[in-house]
Amino acid sequence: MSRAVDHTVSPAVAEEELLRAQVYGLLARLLARAPDAALLATLGDLAGEGGDFGAALDQLAGAARDSDPAAVEEEFTTLFIGVGGSERTPYGSFYLTGFLNEKPLAELRADMARLGIARADDVSEPEDHIAALCEMMAGLITGAFAPEEDGAVGLDAQRAFFDRHIGSWAGRFFADLEASPSARFYRAVGAVGRSFLAVEARAFDLAA
Amino acid sequence: MTRNAVKATDEAAKRNTDIQGSEKGLARRDLFRVAGLGVGALGAVAAGVTAASGTAEAAPAETTSTGYRETDHVRKVYEVSRF
Repeated sequence: MSRAVDHTVSPAVAEEELLRAQVYGLLARLLARAPDAALLATLGDLAGEGGDFGAALDQLAGAARDSDPAAVEEEFTTLFIGVGGSERTPYGSFYLTGFLNEKPLAELRADMARLGIARADDVSEPEDHIAALCEMMAGLITGAFAPEEDGAVGLDAQRAFFDRHIGSWAGRFFADLEASPSARFYRAVGAVGRSFLAVEARAFDLAA
Repeated sequence: MTRNAVKATDEAAKRNTDIQGSEKGLARRDLFRVAGLGVGALGAVAAGVTAASGTAEAAPAETTSTGYRETDHVRKVYEVSRF
């Protein structure tokens, strides 16, 4: 690109790539903590545009309209925090090995260091939490981890990260979330995540 | 206080950019369109997540012209990914 132009923003990332980043960002937000009333209201206005993913978005919108913040907060706690054991354990290491903090987490940390990503200072959860991984994908797509470098990580690097740290287990997690006895609102979040990851996997195959 | 789970390190590596406009890139774009990953479906998400953060960001512009639209998207995605 021409350096003669006064760039005050990052160069454009293609629209569909930004939409991917938005979905990852939304999943990260919903899996990090329960949505507040404002976010629920926004989600209630979503309208799918076809396909499994579109149907899942419609499901999420319906669930958001039927939910109140306090109930979703309680549901979130039961699903992910729960005293004496939560219903779901959204960590890659757990899904891949049956235990937390195993080799997959070490491998993730090595890749994060290589990509210029570190755990935020005020976070204590291991980095292989699904919300953190979704946040990383969003950042890799938009180049958020290297804004001064003008660039997003290419598809090859995105795919390598996805296959190694997300594709290998997160589909099962989202399917489990859909089937969780206590899940109501989060049943729809599971559907969105599962259908989105399926699209992602197909899209990476196309670009290979 | 930030709620991000991750942040960029100081030694962030140099990135290469995407495969925009190539045949494979177009096939990818078609797949996302068919799969329902559209601006219409998701346009509200970024704004909603942003607004819900309490940072009081403006709603996304309705315009579909080229140029600054993607700039807006970039900005919004940064905000979204800040969660």
